[in-house]
Amino acid sequence: MNKRILSILGPVIIIVLMIIFRYIFPNKITFLTEVVIFSIYVMGNNVLMGYLGYTSFGQPFYLSTGAYSAAIYFAYFGGNIFMAMLVAVIVGFLLSLVLAPGLMRLKSSYFTLINAALCAIGVFVFERLLIDITNGNDGLWFRGNMTATPFLDVRYPKNFFFFVLLILLIALYLYQKMDKSALGISMKATKANPEKMTFIGYNVFLIRSIGYSISIMMSALAGALYAINFGFVNPSLGENTRAIEVLLATLIGGVGSVFGPFFGALGFLGMKDIVSSFMSRWEFVVGIITIVVLFKFNRGIWGLIQDGAGLLQSRKKREKTVKVEE
Amino acid sequence: MEIWITAIIYGLATSGILFLVSLALSIGYGLMRVVNMEAMLYYSFGAYVTYTIISVTGSFILGALGGMVVGAGLGLIVETQLLRKIYDRPMMFTMVVTFGVFMIGIGIIQFVWGLEPKPVASPISAIVKIFGGVQIPAYRLLIIVVAIAAYILIQLMMNRTIIGKALRAGIDNRENVEGLGVNINKIFTITFIVASAFAGLGGALNAPLVMVGPYMGFDMLLFAFITVILGGLGSIKGTMVAALILGQVINVGGTLWAPLAFVGPFIVMFFTILIRPTGLFGKEI
Amino acid sequence: MSGVDMSQNALIEVDDLYVNYGKLAVLFDISLKINQSEVVFLVGRNGAGKTTLFRTIAGFLHPKEGEIKLKGESINGMGAYRIARKGVKYIHQDKQVFGDLSVKENLELSSYATGDYNWEPVFAMFPKLKILIDRKAGKLSGGEKQMLLMGMAIIGKPDLVMMDEPTEGLAPHVIQDLAVSFKEISKTTTLFIVEQNLPIIADIADRVYCMKEGKIIVEEGCREDIQNLCFEQYL
Ligand SMILES: Nc1ncnc2c1ncn2[C@@H]1O[C@H](COP(=O)(O)OP(=O)(O)OP(=O)(O)O)[C@@H](O)[C@H]1O
Ligand SMILES: [Mg+2]
Repeated sequence: MNKRILSILGPVIIIVLMIIFRYIFPNKITFLTEVVIFSIYVMGNNVLMGYLGYTSFGQPFYLSTGAYSAAIYFAYFGGNIFMAMLVAVIVGFLLSLVLAPGLMRLKSSYFTLINAALCAIGVFVFERLLIDITNGNDGLWFRGNMTATPFLDVRYPKNFFFFVLLILLIALYLYQKMDKSALGISMKATKANPEKMTFIGYNVFLIRSIGYSISIMMSALAGALYAINFGFVNPSLGENTRAIEVLLATLIGGVGSVFGPFFGALGFLGMKDIVSSFMSRWEFVVGIITIVVLFKFNRGIWGLIQDGAGLLQSRKKREKTVKVEE
Repeated sequence: MEIWITAIIYGLATSGILFLVSLALSIGYGLMRVVNMEAMLYYSFGAYVTYTIISVTGSFILGALGGMVVGAGLGLIVETQLLRKIYDRPMMFTMVVTFGVFMIGIGIIQFVWGLEPKPVASPISAIVKIFGGVQIPAYRLLIIVVAIAAYILIQLMMNRTIIGKALRAGIDNRENVEGLGVNINKIFTITFIVASAFAGLGGALNAPLVMVGPYMGFDMLLFAFITVILGGLGSIKGTMVAALILGQVINVGGTLWAPLAFVGPFIVMFFTILIRPTGLFGKEI
Repeated sequence: MSGVDMSQNALIEVDDLYVNYGKLAVLFDISLKINQSEVVFLVGRNGAGKTTLFRTIAGFLHPKEGEIKLKGESINGMGAYRIARKGVKYIHQDKQVFGDLSVKENLELSSYATGDYNWEPVFAMFPKLKILIDRKAGKLSGGEKQMLLMGMAIIGKPDLVMMDEPTEGLAPHVIQDLAVSFKEISKTTTLFIVEQNLPIIADIADRVYCMKEGKIIVEEGCREDIQNLCFEQYL
C-alpha cells in the first residue's frame, strides 16, 4: 500500500523538490538544470549497470553522440528543439542497433573496455574525422539557430529549467513502468543468472539488447539537452576521463533503483560543486568517496532513504500494534 | 625507407614500455580476477620518483631503481590491503574500487609534485647507426633490451621456478594449492610485487620520453588496457604479443597518418574483440 | 566408548560446531572425534553438509561457533595452508588436479609445501604414476587423477588424510583398486572419508558417522554393527 503511494508520488516529490531548490537558490539555476539533465544520463547508465550488470567506461560516447546529433541538426538543418531531441534519440537508437549485436555477446569486463575504446574512437571521430562538420576542438556553435517553442520559450535558461523538469517527470514515470514491467524483471533476472534465463527459454540476447538500446537512447537524449542548454558542443563532452562521473553518480544514488539515479546526480554534482569551490582538483576526494560508497553504502542514497522510511514505518506499525494490544 | 625503419624501432621501444606497464594489469587479473585500474599508479609514481631522484642525485640508474622500489612497495600495499580482500567480489566492483584508488593516487601526486608536468632528460644521448645509416637514439634500444630481459625473467619465473608452478596451479585452483600447504597468498603477493616493480620501471624508462604529469597514468591506462585485452586478460605471452602489435600500430601507423598513433590501437582492439571476444591468447572467463 | 584412553589418542576433536554460509546455517552442533590411526567414514545424503564439515576442518571455512582441535591444539580460524602443514590433507570432492602442470610438477608442488621430496612411497602405492610422470595432469582419467591426488596427499607423511567422495563417478574395477589403496594408506595414516559406497565402508571402516541436515545423527563404532547395519536409509 505504502509502496504504491511512494511510487506514484516519487516522481512528483522529486519535481517539487527541484522547484523548491530553484526558489531557495535562485542563482543556482544552471547547476539545477545540469542536475536534471545529468539525472537522465545517470538513469540511462543505471539500465546497464543496475538492470543488466554491465559497467561501461564509455558512456560519454553515447552522450556526445546525442549532443552532436542535436548540434549538427541545429547547425545545418533546422531550429526546432523537439526535432533536435528526436533526432538525437533516433541516432542513439540506430547506433544501438549497430552495436548491440557485437557488444551484447561480450563478458562484462570486455564490455567495459570496449566501451572505453568506443569513447576514444568517438572523440577521434568528432574532433578529427568530421572536423569539416564539427569544427573540431573549436566546437560547434548554434545558439542563434534555435527557434522559439510555443507556450514556453525554452531558449531562456529559466524556462529551460522547467522544460527539462517536465522531461525528467515523464522519464521517471516511464522508467518506473519499465521497472515493473516484464522487461524490467527479466533484465534483472538475466543479470542474476543468464544461463538459467536461457535455460527456461528467454532470449537473453534480446533482453540485453533492448536494455542497451534504452540506455543509449537516454544518454543521447541527455546529450541533446546538454547541447540545447549550452548552445554549443565540443569533443571534450565525450572524453574517456569523464566516464567515471556517471558511474560514480549511479553508485552514489543506489544501483538498480528507479529513483536512485536522481539522488545520485544531485549528490554527485552537489559534492563536485562544493568541493571545487575550495579545491582546484578533486580527484582525491572523488576517489575517497568512491571507496567509502562502495564499501559502506553499497545501496547508495536511495538505500539510505528507504532504510529511513522503513524505520519510520516500522515504528508506526509498532505503535499500531501497541494500540491494538491495549 | 629510413623513416620506416626508424618507425619500426621506435615501435619496438613503445612495445617495451607497454609490456612493462601492462604486466601488473594482466597479472592482477590472472591471479585474482581483479581488474586493477590502480596499476597505472605504479607507472606514474615510478616516473615521478625517477624525476625526483634524478634532480637530487643526477643518476638515472638510481632513479630507475627508486622507481622500481616505489612501484613494488605500492603494489605490496595495494595487494595485501585491498586486492586480496576483494578478489571474490563482482568484476564491476573491483574495477570501480581500484579506479577509486587510482584517483586517490592521482590526488596524492598532485599534492606532492604539483600540477605542472616535469621534464626528465634522457640519460643516454648517443645516436646509434644501424642498417647502414639509419639513426636511432641508443636510449630506445636500451628500452627494447630491458623489456626483452623482463619478459625472459618473468617467463623463467613462471615456468622454471616452483613459485611459478605454484602460481599457475593457484590460478587454476586456489583452494587446492592451499590444501597442499602452500601459502598461496604469499606467492600471489610476490608475483604482484614483481609486476608492480616492472610497472615502476616502465614509468622510469618512459619518463624521458613523455612529460611526467599527474595524468600520465590516465593516458597510459587506456593503452595498457588495450594491450591486455587484445592479448587476452591474464596471459603474459598475450600481453607481449599485443604490446608488439600495438607498438607498430602506434609508430608505423602514426607515420602513415598521424591520427592513427592515437586511435589506431582502439580500432585494432575494437575489431579483435568483436571477432575474438577473449583476445588473442585469453581463455574463456 | 569414550574413555580416558581414547581422548588421549584423539587426533581431531570437534566440539559443538556451527557453520554458516553467510546467513544460511548449514552445520549444527557437530561434535566428533577422530583417533590416531583410525579409519572413519562419514555418510549422509546429498546436501547433508559433509563437504562443509570437511572444508571447515581443513580451514577453508571458519566456524561460527564451536571448536576444532588438532592434537589438542585449537585450529579455529587458522589458515588452510597452515593446517595442511600441520599434517591434515584434504582431497576435494571435485578431483581437481592442476591440469596445466605435469604429474611431476603436481607432485613437486606437494613436496615444496611439505619439504618432503621422497616420492618412493607414492610410486610404491601407485606404480602407474611413475609411467605417467610427464603427462599433463589435465589429461589423466578420473581414476588416475584420484591416484595422483592421493599420492600428493601422502607426501610429507600427514597425520590425517580426508577424502571427499574419492570413488564418486569411477568405474567399479577402479573403485576396487582404490579400496586396496585406502587400506594401504591406513597402515600409516589416519583416514577420514566421505563415501557412498557401502561395500568399501563395510570392508575397512573402524567407525562411521551419519549426517542428516547438518547434524550428526548416528555414530557407529562396532565393526559387527557396521557390517550389518543398513546405511542405505541415510544415503
Ligand atoms: N558455497 C555455498 N554457499 C551457500 N550454500 C552452500 C555452499 N556450499 C554448500 N551449500 C549448501 O550447504 C548445504 C550442505 O552442502 P554440502 O556441500 O556440505 O553437502 P554434502 O553433504 O557434501 O553434499 P554432496 O553429497 O552432494 O556432496 C547444502 O544445502 C548446500 O546447498
Ligand atoms: Mg559434498
